[in-house]
Amino acid sequence: MSDSLKVLAIVPAFNECGNIGRTVSEIHRLAPHVDVLVINDGSADDTAQEAAQAGGMVVSLPFNLGIGAAVQTGFKYAKAHGYDIAVQIDGDGQHDASFVGQLIAPIVEGRADMVVGSRFIQKAGFQSSFSRRIGINFFVHLINILTGVKISDPTSGFRAYGKKLIALFSEYYPHDFPEPEAIVVTRQAGGRIVELPVVMRAREAGNSSIKYLKTLYYMAKVTLAILVHMIRQGKSL
Amino acid sequence: MKIHLVSLLVSLLIFGLVIDLVRRHRLTFKYAIGWLLISAGAIFLAIFDQLLFALAHFLGFELPSNFIFFAVLSMFVFLSLLLTVFLCQQNERNDVMAQKIAILEFELKELKKKA
Repeated sequence: MSDSLKVLAIVPAFNECGNIGRTVSEIHRLAPHVDVLVINDGSADDTAQEAAQAGGMVVSLPFNLGIGAAVQTGFKYAKAHGYDIAVQIDGDGQHDASFVGQLIAPIVEGRADMVVGSRFIQKAGFQSSFSRRIGINFFVHLINILTGVKISDPTSGFRAYGKKLIALFSEYYPHDFPEPEAIVVTRQAGGRIVELPVVMRAREAGNSSIKYLKTLYYMAKVTLAILVHMIRQGKSL
Repeated sequence: MKIHLVSLLVSLLIFGLVIDLVRRHRLTFKYAIGWLLISAGAIFLAIFDQLLFALAHFLGFELPSNFIFFAVLSMFVFLSLLLTVFLCQQNERNDVMAQKIAILEFELKELKKKA
Protein backbone atom coordinates (compact mmCIF):
# COMPACT_ATOMS: atom_id res chain seq x y z
CA MET A 1 0.00 0.00 0.00
CA SER A 2 1.34 3.36 -0.99
CA ASP A 3 1.72 5.66 2.00
CA SER A 4 1.71 8.83 -0.04
CA LEU A 5 -1.95 8.45 -0.94
CA LYS A 6 -4.49 10.12 1.31
CA VAL A 7 -7.30 7.78 2.26
CA LEU A 8 -10.54 8.81 3.95
CA ALA A 9 -12.99 6.42 5.59
CA ILE A 10 -16.52 7.77 5.19
CA VAL A 11 -18.71 6.36 7.95
CA PRO A 12 -22.40 7.29 7.70
CA ALA A 13 -24.13 6.97 11.08
CA PHE A 14 -27.74 7.51 12.10
CA ASN A 15 -28.51 6.77 15.75
CA GLU A 16 -25.56 4.38 16.08
CA CYS A 17 -24.80 5.08 19.73
CA GLY A 18 -23.18 1.93 21.17
CA ASN A 19 -21.81 0.86 17.75
CA ILE A 20 -20.10 3.91 16.31
CA GLY A 21 -17.33 4.19 18.93
CA ARG A 22 -16.31 0.60 18.34
CA THR A 23 -16.47 1.05 14.57
CA VAL A 24 -14.22 4.12 14.66
CA SER A 25 -11.63 2.57 16.99
CA GLU A 26 -11.59 -0.58 14.90
CA ILE A 27 -10.80 1.40 11.75
CA HIS A 28 -8.04 3.28 13.60
CA ARG A 29 -6.59 -0.01 14.85
CA LEU A 30 -6.86 -2.08 11.67
CA ALA A 31 -6.29 0.67 9.07
CA PRO A 32 -4.05 3.18 10.86
CA HIS A 33 -3.18 5.24 7.76
CA VAL A 34 -6.82 6.04 7.08
CA ASP A 35 -8.51 9.22 8.33
CA VAL A 36 -11.95 8.53 9.73
CA LEU A 37 -14.81 10.89 8.94
CA VAL A 38 -18.12 10.08 10.60
CA ILE A 39 -21.17 11.66 9.02
CA ASN A 40 -23.69 12.00 11.81
CA ASP A 41 -26.93 12.06 9.85
CA GLY A 42 -29.06 14.04 12.28
CA SER A 43 -28.94 11.42 15.04
CA ALA A 44 -31.13 11.99 18.09
CA ASP A 45 -28.70 10.12 20.39
CA ASP A 46 -25.03 10.66 21.32
CA THR A 47 -23.62 9.26 18.07
CA ALA A 48 -21.53 12.41 17.45
CA GLN A 49 -19.98 12.50 20.93
CA GLU A 50 -19.24 8.77 20.91
CA ALA A 51 -17.58 9.00 17.48
CA ALA A 52 -15.50 12.02 18.50
CA GLN A 53 -14.40 10.34 21.74
CA ALA A 54 -13.18 7.37 19.72
CA GLY A 55 -11.02 9.78 17.73
CA GLY A 56 -13.09 10.21 14.60
CA MET A 57 -13.63 13.47 12.77
CA VAL A 58 -17.36 14.14 13.01
CA VAL A 59 -19.44 16.11 10.55
CA SER A 60 -22.97 16.53 11.88
CA LEU A 61 -25.78 17.18 9.43
CA PRO A 62 -28.39 19.57 10.87
CA PHE A 63 -31.17 17.05 10.19
CA ASN A 64 -31.58 13.58 8.75
CA LEU A 65 -30.85 13.57 5.01
CA GLY A 66 -30.70 9.82 4.42
CA ILE A 67 -27.81 7.51 3.59
CA GLY A 68 -27.15 8.82 0.07
CA ALA A 69 -26.81 12.48 1.01
CA ALA A 70 -24.83 11.52 4.14
CA VAL A 71 -22.26 9.57 2.15
CA GLN A 72 -22.16 12.37 -0.42
CA THR A 73 -21.19 14.77 2.38
CA GLY A 74 -18.15 12.55 2.84
CA PHE A 75 -17.30 12.76 -0.87
CA LYS A 76 -17.55 16.54 -0.72
CA TYR A 77 -15.20 16.64 2.25
CA ALA A 78 -12.80 14.21 0.55
CA LYS A 79 -12.73 16.32 -2.60
CA ALA A 80 -12.23 19.59 -0.72
CA HIS A 81 -9.34 18.13 1.29
CA GLY A 82 -7.56 16.40 -1.57
CA TYR A 83 -8.12 12.76 -0.66
CA ASP A 84 -7.07 10.20 -3.28
CA ILE A 85 -9.27 7.36 -2.09
CA ALA A 86 -12.50 7.15 -0.12
CA VAL A 87 -13.68 4.01 1.66
CA GLN A 88 -17.30 3.76 2.71
CA ILE A 89 -17.83 1.79 5.92
CA ASP A 90 -21.21 1.47 7.63
CA GLY A 91 -21.45 2.93 11.13
CA ASP A 92 -23.28 -0.09 12.55
CA GLY A 93 -20.20 -2.29 12.84
CA GLN A 94 -21.32 -4.61 10.06
CA HIS A 95 -18.12 -4.12 8.07
CA ASP A 96 -14.76 -5.51 9.11
CA ALA A 97 -12.08 -2.79 8.81
CA SER A 98 -9.33 -5.37 8.35
CA PHE A 99 -10.45 -5.58 4.70
CA VAL A 100 -9.80 -1.89 4.02
CA GLY A 101 -6.26 -2.54 2.75
CA GLN A 102 -7.49 -5.15 0.27
CA LEU A 103 -10.39 -2.95 -0.86
CA ILE A 104 -8.22 0.02 -1.76
CA ALA A 105 -5.44 -2.02 -3.40
CA PRO A 106 -6.99 -2.14 -6.92
CA ILE A 107 -7.40 1.64 -6.82
CA VAL A 108 -3.84 2.18 -5.60
CA GLU A 109 -2.63 -0.04 -8.44
CA GLY A 110 -4.74 1.96 -10.92
CA ARG A 111 -6.86 -1.05 -11.89
CA ALA A 112 -10.22 0.24 -10.69
CA ASP A 113 -12.28 3.35 -9.97
CA MET A 114 -14.63 1.56 -7.59
CA VAL A 115 -14.13 -1.56 -5.50
CA VAL A 116 -17.15 -3.32 -4.03
CA GLY A 117 -16.72 -5.60 -1.02
CA SER A 118 -18.88 -8.67 -1.61
CA ARG A 119 -20.04 -11.12 1.04
CA PHE A 120 -21.17 -13.60 -1.64
CA ILE A 121 -17.84 -14.43 -3.30
CA GLN A 122 -16.40 -16.55 -0.52
CA LYS A 123 -19.80 -17.04 1.11
CA ALA A 124 -18.27 -16.60 4.57
CA GLY A 125 -19.74 -14.65 7.45
CA PHE A 126 -23.23 -13.18 7.59
CA GLN A 127 -25.08 -13.93 4.35
CA SER A 128 -28.23 -11.83 4.85
CA SER A 129 -31.76 -13.20 5.13
CA PHE A 130 -33.35 -15.44 2.50
CA SER A 131 -35.79 -12.82 1.22
CA ARG A 132 -33.07 -10.22 0.95
CA ARG A 133 -30.83 -12.59 -0.96
CA ILE A 134 -33.60 -13.09 -3.51
CA GLY A 135 -33.85 -9.32 -3.87
CA ILE A 136 -30.09 -8.92 -4.16
CA ASN A 137 -29.94 -11.68 -6.77
CA PHE A 138 -32.56 -9.87 -8.81
CA PHE A 139 -30.42 -6.73 -8.83
CA VAL A 140 -27.34 -8.71 -9.81
CA HIS A 141 -29.14 -9.72 -13.01
CA LEU A 142 -30.81 -6.35 -13.59
CA ILE A 143 -27.50 -4.47 -13.32
CA ASN A 144 -25.79 -7.11 -15.44
CA ILE A 145 -28.38 -6.72 -18.20
CA LEU A 146 -28.33 -2.92 -18.08
CA THR A 147 -24.62 -2.24 -17.68
CA GLY A 148 -22.93 -5.48 -18.70
CA VAL A 149 -21.06 -5.78 -15.43
CA LYS A 150 -21.65 -8.60 -12.94
CA ILE A 151 -21.54 -7.49 -9.30
CA SER A 152 -22.49 -10.28 -6.90
CA ASP A 153 -23.31 -7.93 -3.99
CA PRO A 154 -24.74 -4.72 -5.48
CA THR A 155 -26.32 -3.56 -2.20
CA SER A 156 -23.04 -3.79 -0.28
CA GLY A 157 -22.13 -0.47 1.34
CA PHE A 158 -18.53 -1.57 1.96
CA ARG A 159 -16.71 0.07 -0.94
CA ALA A 160 -13.71 2.07 -2.04
CA TYR A 161 -13.65 4.88 -4.60
CA GLY A 162 -10.85 6.55 -6.52
CA LYS A 163 -10.26 10.23 -7.02
CA LYS A 164 -12.31 10.55 -10.23
CA LEU A 165 -15.39 9.01 -8.62
CA ILE A 166 -14.93 11.16 -5.50
CA ALA A 167 -15.15 14.20 -7.76
CA LEU A 168 -18.13 12.84 -9.71
CA PHE A 169 -20.06 11.73 -6.62
CA SER A 170 -19.44 14.97 -4.74
CA GLU A 171 -21.37 16.64 -7.58
CA TYR A 172 -23.88 13.92 -8.28
CA TYR A 173 -24.62 10.95 -6.05
CA PRO A 174 -27.90 9.03 -6.03
CA HIS A 175 -29.92 9.75 -2.91
CA ASP A 176 -32.66 7.15 -3.05
CA PHE A 177 -30.98 3.73 -3.09
CA PRO A 178 -27.36 4.77 -3.48
CA GLU A 179 -25.57 1.42 -3.49
CA PRO A 180 -27.06 -0.27 -6.57
CA GLU A 181 -27.66 3.07 -8.28
CA ALA A 182 -24.04 4.19 -7.83
CA ILE A 183 -22.91 1.09 -9.76
CA VAL A 184 -25.09 2.10 -12.70
CA VAL A 185 -23.92 5.73 -12.53
CA THR A 186 -20.29 4.62 -12.39
CA ARG A 187 -20.71 2.34 -15.40
CA GLN A 188 -22.46 5.10 -17.33
CA ALA A 189 -19.52 7.38 -16.58
CA GLY A 190 -17.15 4.74 -17.92
CA GLY A 191 -15.72 3.80 -14.52
CA ARG A 192 -14.09 0.45 -13.84
CA ILE A 193 -15.59 -1.63 -11.04
CA VAL A 194 -13.80 -4.46 -9.27
CA GLU A 195 -15.37 -6.76 -6.72
CA LEU A 196 -13.49 -8.43 -3.88
CA PRO A 197 -14.56 -10.89 -1.20
CA VAL A 198 -15.21 -9.56 2.31
CA VAL A 199 -16.77 -11.01 5.44
CA MET A 200 -19.65 -9.13 7.03
CA ARG A 201 -21.18 -9.47 10.46
CA ALA A 202 -24.84 -9.91 11.24
CA ARG A 203 -26.86 -6.80 11.90
CA GLU A 204 -30.32 -8.12 12.47
CA ALA A 205 -32.15 -11.39 12.42
CA GLY A 206 -35.67 -12.68 12.03
CA ASN A 207 -38.17 -12.81 9.25
CA SER A 208 -41.85 -12.07 9.05
CA SER A 209 -44.33 -12.06 6.22
CA ILE A 210 -44.29 -8.26 6.33
CA LYS A 211 -40.59 -8.38 5.60
CA TYR A 212 -41.21 -10.33 2.40
CA LEU A 213 -43.70 -7.72 1.27
CA LYS A 214 -41.25 -4.98 2.22
CA THR A 215 -38.52 -6.69 0.23
CA LEU A 216 -40.81 -6.88 -2.78
CA TYR A 217 -41.74 -3.22 -2.42
CA TYR A 218 -38.07 -2.31 -2.03
CA MET A 219 -37.18 -4.30 -5.15
CA ALA A 220 -39.82 -2.50 -7.19
CA LYS A 221 -38.65 0.91 -6.00
CA VAL A 222 -34.97 0.23 -6.61
CA THR A 223 -35.73 -1.20 -10.05
CA LEU A 224 -37.56 1.98 -10.97
CA ALA A 225 -34.76 4.13 -9.57
CA ILE A 226 -32.20 2.18 -11.62
CA LEU A 227 -34.31 2.40 -14.77
CA VAL A 228 -34.60 6.16 -14.28
CA HIS A 229 -30.80 6.33 -14.50
CA MET A 230 -30.95 4.56 -17.84
CA ILE A 231 -33.08 7.32 -19.38
CA ARG A 232 -31.05 10.08 -17.77
CA GLN A 233 -28.14 11.78 -19.39
CA GLY A 234 -25.07 10.14 -17.90
CA LYS A 235 -22.20 12.10 -16.41
CA SER A 236 -18.67 11.30 -17.47
CA LEU A 237 -15.54 10.87 -15.40
CA MET B 1 -78.46 34.07 -14.19
CA LYS B 2 -77.42 33.50 -10.60
CA ILE B 3 -74.60 31.15 -11.63
CA HIS B 4 -73.32 33.86 -13.90
CA LEU B 5 -72.97 36.25 -10.94
CA VAL B 6 -71.53 33.60 -8.60
CA SER B 7 -68.80 32.55 -11.02
CA LEU B 8 -67.92 36.17 -11.68
CA LEU B 9 -67.69 36.89 -7.92
CA VAL B 10 -65.52 33.83 -7.25
CA SER B 11 -63.15 34.77 -10.09
CA LEU B 12 -62.92 38.33 -8.80
CA LEU B 13 -62.31 37.05 -5.25
CA ILE B 14 -59.38 34.88 -6.38
CA PHE B 15 -57.93 37.71 -8.43
CA GLY B 16 -58.22 40.14 -5.50
CA LEU B 17 -56.78 37.58 -3.06
CA VAL B 18 -53.70 37.02 -5.25
CA ILE B 19 -53.11 40.78 -5.52
CA ASP B 20 -53.47 41.15 -1.76
CA LEU B 21 -51.02 38.30 -1.15
CA VAL B 22 -48.48 39.96 -3.43
CA ARG B 23 -49.07 43.29 -1.70
CA ARG B 24 -48.41 41.74 1.72
CA HIS B 25 -45.24 39.99 0.42
CA ARG B 26 -46.79 36.56 0.96
CA LEU B 27 -46.49 35.69 -2.72
CA THR B 28 -43.68 36.65 -5.06
CA PHE B 29 -44.32 37.85 -8.59
CA LYS B 30 -42.81 34.68 -10.05
CA TYR B 31 -45.52 32.52 -8.48
CA ALA B 32 -48.31 35.12 -8.61
CA ILE B 33 -48.23 35.75 -12.35
CA GLY B 34 -49.70 32.35 -13.24
CA TRP B 35 -52.55 32.75 -10.78
CA LEU B 36 -53.26 36.27 -11.99
CA LEU B 37 -53.45 35.12 -15.59
CA ILE B 38 -55.72 32.20 -14.71
CA SER B 39 -58.11 34.28 -12.62
CA ALA B 40 -58.14 37.05 -15.24
CA GLY B 41 -59.10 34.41 -17.79
CA ALA B 42 -61.84 33.14 -15.48
CA ILE B 43 -63.23 36.67 -15.05
CA PHE B 44 -63.19 37.16 -18.79
CA LEU B 45 -65.05 33.90 -19.45
CA ALA B 46 -67.53 34.62 -16.63
CA ILE B 47 -68.45 37.91 -18.33
CA PHE B 48 -68.40 36.66 -21.91
CA ASP B 49 -69.86 33.24 -21.29
CA GLN B 50 -71.11 32.94 -24.88
CA LEU B 51 -67.45 32.59 -25.79
CA LEU B 52 -67.11 29.72 -23.31
CA PHE B 53 -70.14 27.96 -24.80
CA ALA B 54 -68.83 28.49 -28.31
CA LEU B 55 -65.43 27.14 -27.39
CA ALA B 56 -66.94 24.10 -25.67
CA HIS B 57 -69.10 23.40 -28.70
CA PHE B 58 -66.18 23.88 -31.07
CA LEU B 59 -64.08 21.34 -29.14
CA GLY B 60 -66.93 18.89 -29.20
CA PHE B 61 -68.05 18.89 -25.55
CA GLU B 62 -71.74 17.98 -25.15
CA LEU B 63 -72.09 20.27 -22.16
CA PRO B 64 -70.19 23.48 -21.41
CA SER B 65 -69.87 22.31 -17.78
CA ASN B 66 -67.91 19.25 -18.96
CA PHE B 67 -65.56 21.55 -20.75
CA ILE B 68 -65.05 23.62 -17.58
CA PHE B 69 -64.39 20.50 -15.46
CA PHE B 70 -61.95 19.19 -18.03
CA ALA B 71 -60.11 22.50 -18.31
CA VAL B 72 -59.86 23.02 -14.54
CA LEU B 73 -58.76 19.42 -13.92
CA SER B 74 -56.07 19.63 -16.61
CA MET B 75 -54.87 22.88 -15.13
CA PHE B 76 -54.54 21.32 -11.67
CA VAL B 77 -52.67 18.29 -12.94
CA PHE B 78 -50.24 20.56 -14.72
CA LEU B 79 -49.95 22.83 -11.70
CA SER B 80 -49.22 19.98 -9.27
CA LEU B 81 -46.58 18.62 -11.62
CA LEU B 82 -44.99 22.04 -11.71
CA LEU B 83 -45.15 22.30 -7.92
CA THR B 84 -43.51 18.87 -7.58
CA VAL B 85 -40.67 20.11 -9.77
CA PHE B 86 -40.28 23.15 -7.53
CA LEU B 87 -40.42 20.92 -4.47
CA CYS B 88 -37.65 18.68 -5.83
CA GLN B 89 -35.52 21.70 -6.61
CA GLN B 90 -36.01 23.09 -3.11
CA ASN B 91 -35.30 19.69 -1.59
CA GLU B 92 -32.06 19.38 -3.52
CA ARG B 93 -30.94 22.88 -2.56
CA ASN B 94 -31.82 22.12 1.03
CA ASP B 95 -29.65 18.99 1.00
CA VAL B 96 -26.72 20.83 -0.56
CA MET B 97 -26.99 23.57 2.03
CA ALA B 98 -27.21 21.14 4.94
CA GLN B 99 -24.11 19.32 3.66
CA LYS B 100 -22.23 22.57 3.26
CA ILE B 101 -23.19 23.85 6.70
CA ALA B 102 -22.17 20.57 8.32
CA ILE B 103 -18.74 20.56 6.62
CA LEU B 104 -18.15 24.25 7.36
CA GLU B 105 -19.12 23.77 11.00
CA PHE B 106 -16.62 20.94 11.32
CA GLU B 107 -13.85 22.88 9.60
CA LEU B 108 -14.54 25.90 11.81
CA LYS B 109 -14.29 23.76 14.91
CA GLU B 110 -10.96 22.33 13.72
CA LEU B 111 -9.65 25.84 12.99
CA LYS B 112 -10.65 27.06 16.46
CA LYS B 113 -8.91 24.04 18.00
CA LYS B 114 -5.69 24.91 16.16
CA ALA B 115 -5.85 28.61 17.02
